[in-house]
This record gives sequence, structure tokens and C-alpha cells, in this order.
Amino acid sequence: MEEERREVCLNGEEEEVVIKDEDKVALQFMDSLHNYLSLSDSLSSTLRQGWLELASARYSMGTSRVNSSLLDLKFHSAATILKITENEDGTQPHFTLQKWVSSEHELESTKLEYKNEQPQDSNSIKSSENLMGLADNDEVQKERHKSLSVFGVLISPKLRATQLSFEKALETLIEIANLRSSLLHSFSQLNQEVEDTKE
Amino acid sequence: MYGFEAMTFNIHGGYLEAIVRGHRSGLLTTADYNNLCQCETLDDIKMHLSATEYGPYLQNEPSPLHTTTIVEKCTLKLVDDYKHMLCQATEPLSTFLEYITYGHMIDNVVLIVTGTLHERDVQELLEKCHPLGMFDSIATLAVAQNMRELYRLVLVDTPLAPYFPECITSEDLDDMSIEIMRNTLYKAYLEDFYRFCQKLGGATAEIMSDLLAFEADRRAVNITINSIGTELTRDDRRKLYSNFGLFYPYGHEELAVCEDIDQVRAVMEKYPPYQSIFAKLSYGESQMLDKAFYEEEVKRHCLAFEQQFHYAVFFAYMRLREQEIRNLMWISECVAQNQKSRVHDSVVFIF
Repeated sequence: MEEERREVCLNGEEEEVVIKDEDKVALQFMDSLHNYLSLSDSLSSTLRQGWLELASARYSMGTSRVNSSLLDLKFHSAATILKITENEDGTQPHFTLQKWVSSEHELESTKLEYKNEQPQDSNSIKSSENLMGLADNDEVQKERHKSLSVFGVLISPKLRATQLSFEKALETLIEIANLRSSLLHSFSQLNQEVEDTKE
Repeated sequence: MYGFEAMTFNIHGGYLEAIVRGHRSGLLTTADYNNLCQCETLDDIKMHLSATEYGPYLQNEPSPLHTTTIVEKCTLKLVDDYKHMLCQATEPLSTFLEYITYGHMIDNVVLIVTGTLHERDVQELLEKCHPLGMFDSIATLAVAQNMRELYRLVLVDTPLAPYFPECITSEDLDDMSIEIMRNTLYKAYLEDFYRFCQKLGGATAEIMSDLLAFEADRRAVNITINSIGTELTRDDRRKLYSNFGLFYPYGHEELAVCEDIDQVRAVMEKYPPYQSIFAKLSYGESQMLDKAFYEEEVKRHCLAFEQQFHYAVFFAYMRLREQEIRNLMWISECVAQNQKSRVHDSVVFIF
């Protein structure tokens, strides 16, 4: 069993703390579980807000302008794509969302790609997104308007707010899926460690 | 002659004015809304509404109820009231009552055309149409490919025909052209209704001018706010504003160039009747603007009942009922989504 020795400064005295691998995995599992529960709660409140905003949009615009019979059944490219990749041993799937990507903008799809990676990578992703400039935000806005145009061109700001809420909920769902994948992977690793210990 | 309607109005309009005032007394009160806002389920709402004029329309609906079912059944009550008044009315009241439904007709036409463009089934679309806006050949709308065909095949024989020549093109229909068609038709309808009321004269002309002017101004503000950030040009936006109302013509020139809600606010605050609307909102906020407009509209429609011997009471009653149905829809949605704390965000009390 490998051990990690760390020097920790506590009350001015240096103490040596031995962290075992299985403790590390257990801590990772508990952290992931905590994040999973927080995100589930966040998803629930985002969806509640989205549904209420949709009701508010129906109140403002009228039920004949906002209803399911206006949704487009014509064949068209998906505005958002979900990519699933696996790690080397195929035990942990990873989910990636590509938002506002249609066939006309495939060349820009790599720029608009939003990767739900571990938190330590999110800052680098956000900074690269900030460097993209106004033109890409215009493209995203155009795609958003195109998506909502099934309800008409002159739509209430409440309907646009609804779209943003559900978009945020979708991103949260992907984060939850990745966390769940990480949870299950940590859990199986823990189980393996426990069985190895018994042996 | 204005001021002498009392001598002749009751000959043809007395019975129906009494009927509509009776219907007005059946509108839900604040106590009714307080009871409804405390309901836990849609079945509770149905139980509370059973003691109102909506009772007979909801009593046979099985559980579990849906919010759209409540709205549909309450709308049937409005339709029955309207049809009773229409079949008893003589000219010019019958024409006046028909004018009230042309807005719904325009909405139904746009619904069918948009749904057909999106390859939806016509029967499914017809079920979603407002019953007050139905006409015989409405299902044939699905055949048209452009506005010229729309007019030639179907709408030439409907009351909307006079409103069409302003927006006829041979281009294929798409989302933008349908939106422009909707707003152009509504503009032409409002202007025609306004001219008709002016011709009637007397108290009807005076009160309806105020109500229709408010409607035109509200539409101008909504078109402006909803077109911010879209591909609609300033010229196209300007063309959608009606040629009457408090904002006409100088307010329209200013609204046409607005790029955000604060600029719209700056325009509206120059007009005293609308200062109170934006006084309720904070800067940059537009979410509560709809409620503020509805409150102002309800206030004006309630005032219409303070005077006798005019047709505006019929228009006011129809609009107040529609507001009541909107309130019921909102309360039902809040109850169904377990968000009763948000009920008062959009409910507009009528009394």
C-alpha cells in the first residue's frame, strides 16, 4: 500500500500526516458526492425558474403564440450536440456539450465548444472564451434567436430569459453527468481497494 | 347628437347593455382571487371556481386537471356570452361586436400559417385556435405558399380582406414575413376599428378612442422592446406602429430609434398618462412592464362602465374577461408548479 507523507503545519508545529491511497479515493468520492448533490439542487431551482418564466411568457404573449404546436417538425441540424468519450480503459465516460452548433457554422464549432472538465480547467476555458471577441457572441446570439424564431421574431424578453434558464439547466445536467461518472469511477476504485485489503 | 343618447339608445341597445352589465358583476372579486391563490392543487381551483360563473364549464372535467383545460373551459364561457350578445344585436352594435373578434382572427391565421410552415398537422393547429377567431375556410390556409395565395384563396372572403393589400408580396412565407404580416394586419385592424368608432360618434367614439389609443400605444412599446436585438430595421419597426394614439407621430419617431429599455422609458416618461407605468419599474427592468400595462388597461376598462348608453362597455367587458382568464392561467400555473409565492407577480385584480 502506498502512502503519501505530507508535512502539515498545525499550531506552529510541523507534523507528519500519512495519507493512504484509499483515503485519497474516499475523500475524492465524498467531494464528488457533495458537488453532485449541490448541482442537483442547483438544477432543480434553475428548472423551476425556467418553467415559471415560460408560464410568464405565455401570460405576456398569449397561449396561441407560445405552445407546443408551433415547434418545427422540419428536418434541421441540431443546435446543440452531446459528445461522449471514454478514458483509456473505458471505465469512465466523459460528456462534452457543443452549444449552438449547426451545419452552417461547423467551422466555428471548435471555438464555441464548451468542455465540462474538472474545475481546475474551467478557468483556462473561460479565459479562452473571453478572448474569442464580440463576433462569436454575435454568432451565439444569432443561433439563439434562430432557435426561438418558431414562436415568432418579435418575442417577449421573458421568452428569451426562459431560453437562457433552460440552457443553463442543460449545462448543469452535463456537469452532473460528468460528476456522476467520476463518482461511479471513484466508488469502483474504493471497492477495489477494500477488496485488495481483505485479500 | 352627443349627450342625447339616453333618448334613443335603449330602443336597440338597452337589453344588451343590461346583459353585459350583469356579466360584468359576475367577474371574480379580490376575495375570489385570495381563495384561489391559497389553493394547493388544480382540483382545489376547480372546486373554488364551481361557485362562480365558470362552474358549469368545469364541473364535468375529470381529474387530473391541466392548466390548459382550465383556460379552455373558461374561454368557452366568454365565447358563449359573446355569441349570445351577437345574436341579439342589431346594427351597428353587431358590427361593433364583430370588430372585437378580428384580433383573434389575425392570431388564428398566423398560428395556422406558422404551424403549416413548420409542417404541423392542421387538425392539431385548429384545436389551438381561439374560438372567437374562427371562420369557415380557416383550414384552407394550410394550402397557401405565399401571401398572395393566402389572400386570393382564403382571406379575400373574410373580414380581414381589407387589411391585406398593405402586406401582399409573392415571396415565400418565412418567420420574419409572417411576423411583419401579423403586425401589419393588426395595425390596419386597429386603425379601421378606430375609424368605425369615430363614425359612430357620441360617448362610444369618445371612450373607444381612449381605449384603442392605449392599445395602439402599448403595441408600439411592445414592438419596440421585442424588436431590440433582432433583424427588424428601424424603418420596418416604424411601419408597424399605428397611425393614431398618444405617441403618434413624434413618440413613434423616438421609439423607432430606441436600442434598449431605458431609452424606451425616456420616451414614455414624456407623456403624463404613461409616467405612472414606468414609475413602478426600476431602471433596466422590463419584466414587470406587462403587468403594469395590464393594470392600466383594467383601470381604463373599469371606468368605461361608469357611463351609460354607449358600446364601449361591450369591448371593456370582453377585455376584462380575457384578463380574468389570464389571471386564472397564471394562478393555475403557479399552483401546478408549486410556486405560490410568485402568484402575485402577474395577477391583476379587476375590482
